[in-house]
Amino acid sequence: MDKKYWRSLGELHSTPEFEEILHREFPVAASEYPEGVSRRRWMQLMGASVALAGVSGCRWEDEKISPSVSRPEGMIPGKPQKYATFMELGGQAESLLVTCLDGRPIKVEGNPDSPQSKGASTVFAQSETLSLYDPDRAVGVVERKGGTRYTRDWQTFLEYSDTVLGQAQKDGGAKLRVLADVSSSAARKNLQEKFSALYPKARWYDYTADSRDHVYEGAKIAFGEAVRPHFNLTKANVIVCLDEDLLSEHPASLLHTREWAARRDPAAGPMNRLYAVESRFTTTGAAADHRLPTRSVDLGYFLTKLEEQVQQRLSEKHAEAESDDYAAKVLAAMAEDLVANQGSGLIAIGANQPAELHARVNKLNEQLGNVGAAVRYSKEPLARDLSSVEALRTLTEEMQSGAVETLVILGGNPAYNAPGDIDFVSALDKVPNSMHLGEYEDETSLLCNWHLPKTHPFEQWGDARAYDGTLCVAQPLIEPLHDGKSEVELLAILCGDKHPVALDLIKESVKGSLDSMTVNASWRRLVHDGVLKGSSLAAVSPKVKSLPAAKIVEAASEEMELVFYISPQLHDGQFANSGWLQETPDNLTKITWDNAALISPKTAKDLGVEFGSVVKLILDDKSIELPVYVLPGQAPNSIAVALGYGRTAAGLVGGDVARDVKPVGENIAALQSQAAMNFAGGLKVEKTDKEYELAITQDHHAIDAVGANEVQGRVGQLVREGDLSEYEANPDFATKRTHHPPLVSLWDKNKEGKPAYQELSYEGQAWGMSIDLSKCIGCNACSVSCQAENNVPVVGREQVLNSREMHWLRVDRYFTGDDENNPGVAVQPMLCQQCELAPCEQVCPVAATVHTDEGLNDMVYNRCVGTRYCANNCPYKVRRFNYFNFNKIYEEPRGKLQALVLNPEVTVRHRGVMEKCTYCVQRIKAVQIEAKNDQRPIEDGEIVTACQQACSAKAIEFGDLANEKSKVAQARANSRSYTALSELNIKPRTSYMAKITNPHPSLAKPASAEHGHGHDEQHAEVGTEKANTEKKSEKH
Amino acid sequence: MDRFQFPKWTNAIVPVLGALGGIGMLYVIGMVAYGASPETTDVGYQPKQPLPFSHALHAGKLKLDCRYCHNTVEVAGHAAIPPTSTCLNCHSGADANGVVNTVAVHSTSTKLAPIRESQATGKSMQWRRVHDLPDYVFFNHSAHVRRGVSCVACHGRVDKMETVTQVKPLSMGWCLECHRNPEPNLRPPEFVTKLDWEAEGNPHEVGKKVREELNLNPSTNCSTCHR
Repeated sequence: MDKKYWRSLGELHSTPEFEEILHREFPVAASEYPEGVSRRRWMQLMGASVALAGVSGCRWEDEKISPSVSRPEGMIPGKPQKYATFMELGGQAESLLVTCLDGRPIKVEGNPDSPQSKGASTVFAQSETLSLYDPDRAVGVVERKGGTRYTRDWQTFLEYSDTVLGQAQKDGGAKLRVLADVSSSAARKNLQEKFSALYPKARWYDYTADSRDHVYEGAKIAFGEAVRPHFNLTKANVIVCLDEDLLSEHPASLLHTREWAARRDPAAGPMNRLYAVESRFTTTGAAADHRLPTRSVDLGYFLTKLEEQVQQRLSEKHAEAESDDYAAKVLAAMAEDLVANQGSGLIAIGANQPAELHARVNKLNEQLGNVGAAVRYSKEPLARDLSSVEALRTLTEEMQSGAVETLVILGGNPAYNAPGDIDFVSALDKVPNSMHLGEYEDETSLLCNWHLPKTHPFEQWGDARAYDGTLCVAQPLIEPLHDGKSEVELLAILCGDKHPVALDLIKESVKGSLDSMTVNASWRRLVHDGVLKGSSLAAVSPKVKSLPAAKIVEAASEEMELVFYISPQLHDGQFANSGWLQETPDNLTKITWDNAALISPKTAKDLGVEFGSVVKLILDDKSIELPVYVLPGQAPNSIAVALGYGRTAAGLVGGDVARDVKPVGENIAALQSQAAMNFAGGLKVEKTDKEYELAITQDHHAIDAVGANEVQGRVGQLVREGDLSEYEANPDFATKRTHHPPLVSLWDKNKEGKPAYQELSYEGQAWGMSIDLSKCIGCNACSVSCQAENNVPVVGREQVLNSREMHWLRVDRYFTGDDENNPGVAVQPMLCQQCELAPCEQVCPVAATVHTDEGLNDMVYNRCVGTRYCANNCPYKVRRFNYFNFNKIYEEPRGKLQALVLNPEVTVRHRGVMEKCTYCVQRIKAVQIEAKNDQRPIEDGEIVTACQQACSAKAIEFGDLANEKSKVAQARANSRSYTALSELNIKPRTSYMAKITNPHPSLAKPASAEHGHGHDEQHAEVGTEKANTEKKSEKH
Repeated sequence: MDRFQFPKWTNAIVPVLGALGGIGMLYVIGMVAYGASPETTDVGYQPKQPLPFSHALHAGKLKLDCRYCHNTVEVAGHAAIPPTSTCLNCHSGADANGVVNTVAVHSTSTKLAPIRESQATGKSMQWRRVHDLPDYVFFNHSAHVRRGVSCVACHGRVDKMETVTQVKPLSMGWCLECHRNPEPNLRPPEFVTKLDWEAEGNPHEVGKKVREELNLNPSTNCSTCHR
């Protein structure tokens, strides 16, 4: 194994700090108590663990049972019910199926009927239950007058709005403006029209920080009409992503990932090849076969060169130019692949790139015959005359000039995320009547006269469209907790309907899409399903007009650029108060609770900065200070910073200056400008002498190894990779990556030659899991889903710094290769492997972790005395210890509401207790009991773990290994299958399937030397570790 | 100054004190074990309910099946306490016009006032829980009654109780006893709610037959009850 694996630059270069971490049993200060401010912050954290528990356990505590007065039909107390609904981000709906228990939503899954997700979900959707019960959500109507906050009710607001709007009506609403979050709701559109009819001179603006305006503006240039591109990745042999994160940040990422992953299994058909050209390391870049770090400003130049190469090849005038330059080689390979796969390739360009480039990509796709196959167009339903940022600018100018008397802000948080050169905040001062509908009393609410509480997506009726146009309908899963109203309801009120019935408004607006003969029945069906089958947008086939000649030159190579990107955790900042998302390690950097300036190793060296130094980023006359994260693979001279941080009025988690809670991270929006919303050249970077410690999870839990070389060697055995040619020559190469003596038990024979030790025998079902690393993109959805399902607590930044994060399932990310400026990436979800000969069980002095007949490694919280021997002896480092009572918050008055998020099927753990993954044993038991009640066998695929359910790539299989026909048994029998650390003879029940890459032949690494044998060693063969699954009588 | 020395005779005290201390410790342990055992603390627990509902009358004399009220017991983990509306099936009071249903039972009884109040106000009855397991125990009623474990096995002869009393310790050891040797508590599932049922012939033989028929292998794994 020649390939080098490393988790951080510290590891690659063996810095003293990393060495220290390696040689410590526990990371620094892992057993010290948090102090000062940090402690308060920690106490305030929202988490996700226990609560309703606590009450009992003691006889004399009187527990009350409050049955319903009249139980609704079909409702069985204690039985989960699932309802379809959706959440909308930037006008794109994600259809969901929400599990409710006794009337409270506790878990979110994707809607299996949705053609987009087919049951998978994003991290944002997963975290929606936590935000529903967030105690920081705004409670009731609030008026601010002369700097004082008054609690009001809707009646008072109605009187106020009557006066204000009555006046506005007199002049046709000439001084009335609406600023709304982008939405694809038909009901809202109807009301918008009604509103315009009522106030003909009023104006309506749509603004979102996460806009895809450039996409349809580019289409307008290319086709003369606004169309939306749709990609079919199953039909694409070659995928080229230019600053586009098709697999994670794109609104149709769930669909893309599923389709992309379906073609990453070399046994299932020809593999696709993914190229990524991007400035910042995205999830797509990490999954790509070839990635070229390129500044965002240079993408136009790159595209020009790609066009040239493609043209040359199309006209067969191409002469093979020999160049050793890696970038040139990748470009040539890309062009060659695209030309060779005409009609079965696709080129996608990021929404952050200017419209002109989108137009040219449209043209290139058309030239290559990709349109109609892997690329398809439909009308763009969200196209507007004014782009998002132009709308905000126009409105702000009007406000400044005093042309606006009444401003209604529907959702969004423009006071926080307006770009630096649009002074929305001071303009808002000049508006005499302003009102903001929002879930939180956020930065915008604080500046408005009225704050109106908005309903959570789970509290309202609603309609919206998914990226492919599929109609989604939301039904309320719970009464509004804080007297909120939805956007649609507020709009109806502003249109004069004092008591709007949201259900009727929604039903009325989607009626047109339903079968007119059976409207009521189809409506009921639609609410039940959550999506309307066959309602995706009709395809259009526009033709590219001639484009103005390209005149793009390379930007000066030493010029620095600043790239702004929507945070994969907090989005545009609206999820800043979610502890789950704040603590989700970033897919690539593994940073939690902060944003940082991502700088390439080369640039960092040039600037003389290193990991953790604070730099001052200066753009024009504005500057901001941020800690440096040296990210291998970041484009040189390009610095990327996530938006969505630095909220000053998010809440006790995300930051609330008024309550003395420091913001998390820095708000970079101040450096954005209308001209440069996505990236800006001319950046100056100044060193400061400050240092800042970023809470990252990547160097924690160093899997047992001594010395960096040893680690590097071992990582190659943990996460096994090979390219397609290696796989074709040797399909079971992965099982041969480790060498070890024959695996014999030390206890096989005693002195008398009799077997002194018998291996455990497993009866009935043998649960096992298989994870396909070829499909996994490391998107973290599994991790957050696990957190929601298993009441995993949030620990806070200070505790993450002490390596005390509690995630039962973490996604390990390793950089590979020798070039720190352009490394490869391998990801590996790591969770309890449920070893059959579990090392943790051998060392527990109180038998708190024991084995079941079905092969689960049970954790008995009540027995645990917290010696932590098990965690010490776990080779995978997947056990988590409760250093504090992270669930204390639920016993406080503030936490009572929050406690509703807890899954009552899972025990809430107390301080001093070890915990870990148990393959969602509560889900296994639920199905087992039901199957046995009906005296029927459990079907394969009937039990779905939380991580498996969330996975959009379908990389995780779970089931019964004893059933040879089960998917998981077949996956385990696959030639790519191996178990991690198999040489320890601990027989993990979780197996991995080796990652296969599909490099272009000209870029493939030379095949490694023939695999030599001749020593008395044995390969770890998954066959020898097959679960010991003698099938005996089926167990209870 | 001379060093203080304990007189010789004190040497005899040491073993005596040791013995006393040992006995004292054993006593404390014994008392705590006895005092905290579910046998002591839980068996016999008989909280006063908000209205004097008599199981002896309803289940015993009137022979209402347990599942008339606890109707989710076969499909859910909980044997749900019935909603107010179930009581009102028989005990409805006067309607808005003062008309009383002719078949209503005790429509004016003051003892039933809380039920009528619950209906009028829409507020739940506040029953007090008798059989209460700790929150880290996940007991499932359906998994037991569908497999031939009768109500009586855990709840006793509720059909003879004026006020429901806990008669079994519901401790882990007690649960495990049955999980290890279920036969004595098994009966054909159709008789689970027939509290006065008695096996024809040897109860162990009957239990064994049920166990074979239903293929029952109760698990004693930790995660069977603790998750």
